[in-house]
Amino acid sequence: MNETIKADKVMDLKGLPCPMPVVKVSKGIKEVAVGQVIEAISTDPGALTDFPAWAKTSGNQILKTEQSGKEIHFFIKRLS
Amino acid sequence: MEKRIREELLALFKSKLSRPMEMYLETCARCGICTEACHAYASMPLPKYTPAYRAEVVRRIYKNYFRWQGKTVPKAGECKKLDETIIDELKEAAYSCTGCRRCMVYCPFGIDTQQIMSIAKLLLVGAHAEPELLSLLADVSISKGESIDSFKEGFLEGVKNLEEEVVEKWRHEAGRTPIPTEVVGAEILYVALAGAHSIIPAAAIFNAAKENWTLSFFEAVNFGAFVGDPTKTKIIMDRIINEAKRLKVKEVCICECGTAFRVMSQLSGSRPFKVSSITEVHSRYLKEGRIRLDKSKFNVPITYHDPCQIARNGGVIDEPRYILSHLTDNFIEMSQDPKYNWCCGGGGGLVALGEETLDFRMKSAKVKAEQISKTGAAILATACENCHTQLSNLNEHYKLGMNVQFLSSLVSDALAK
Ligand code: SF4
Ligand code: SF4
Repeated sequence: MNETIKADKVMDLKGLPCPMPVVKVSKGIKEVAVGQVIEAISTDPGALTDFPAWAKTSGNQILKTEQSGKEIHFFIKRLS
Repeated sequence: MEKRIREELLALFKSKLSRPMEMYLETCARCGICTEACHAYASMPLPKYTPAYRAEVVRRIYKNYFRWQGKTVPKAGECKKLDETIIDELKEAAYSCTGCRRCMVYCPFGIDTQQIMSIAKLLLVGAHAEPELLSLLADVSISKGESIDSFKEGFLEGVKNLEEEVVEKWRHEAGRTPIPTEVVGAEILYVALAGAHSIIPAAAIFNAAKENWTLSFFEAVNFGAFVGDPTKTKIIMDRIINEAKRLKVKEVCICECGTAFRVMSQLSGSRPFKVSSITEVHSRYLKEGRIRLDKSKFNVPITYHDPCQIARNGGVIDEPRYILSHLTDNFIEMSQDPKYNWCCGGGGGLVALGEETLDFRMKSAKVKAEQISKTGAAILATACENCHTQLSNLNEHYKLGMNVQFLSSLVSDALAK
């Protein structure tokens, strides 16, 4: 999947203490409308397991995960 | 409240009635010795913040349904019916208590208010009135355990990105992996948190000590314990136990997370491996001469906050001091006896609830801020993620001007060849 995804909200979650990345993304997703997309940026390896598990639990969808250097970009679509 | 729901909640209550719990519920003499022991009351002197008042909210339900008073003289026996009106009271009691157990060390009967609050938390879970966020975090951990195979590849790639920084801190022998994973027969399974800051310093220290270690796929923290749900607590803990058994490791080392250490060391029952906190492991490396520290690295006074779940409730008191004696000649104790140290005010799930609890956390930990300020130290070290966040918040709120650090970061920054 190489197409560019336009995010409606960008969240910088780099270097946050546990469990703030998941807490913030849970709140952030509620600030966009259903169908809209947030881009969450992290540098934590644990985010690569936490975010997919969070998306599954909260009923949202990770459209794409992109790693550029140390940064990991998650494009998450609000489904409900 | 529907009869069926009440019966379900009472069954949950009953499931908690062990012999010690009955003793805690039966014994309070209302002597008030514990009152000033609670940081929340000492900072905000309202009766609802005393340990005995909190316990009384649960005790009244107990008397009504499980003791003679409820059957004969419910009014005189200060009994309370379990209905919707008590849910808010249970929530206020349980989520203004950090579970620090400072009150318990003062109480002449050893009454454990944290344990009594675990009943309140379980009733809230049963009534679906617990903080939703904590349950969500617990469910995320459980979901991760169920589908770890599909997430492994991404995690390994993320871990690879950290290797350069680990090597920058400690250049180990060529050919060895800076952050090993899936090592069958390793001496140590290190269970970190999701953040890079929980992995990089620890990895550098393991490598400096030439340890045969392996990094866990799971995060150490147990949100099932924070929300007070024993079933979820066990599922989350079992992910790590099963991983340790599969890899046949000798020791599970828990990162700087107080709750994770308490749960794994005290609730995991009999298991074929030893459980240690990372502070114990670092102290051991120093004793065995496997690592050395450069004392000239930090030429400023350092103080240390004992995380309640690691020190008072976990017995790890001498080890951080031993490490500090290798880091500085200018260590300042913040409390005369570490067992009686004030709680940081962020435990019990309060820090995880973030902004929502910030105002209460700052007000209820005023005594902690004063205690820290009195040390006059420049560096405030601790060994728990939760405490570190709360202490950083206090540092900002009360303008303490401290440099808040993880003990393990200080160790990794002072590693000497
Ligand atoms: S456990 Fe700590 S926070 Fe809870 S009542 Fe006792 S002293 Fe207060
Ligand atoms: S110190 Fe113990 S017995 Fe006295 S009021 Fe507090 S809990 Fe009750």
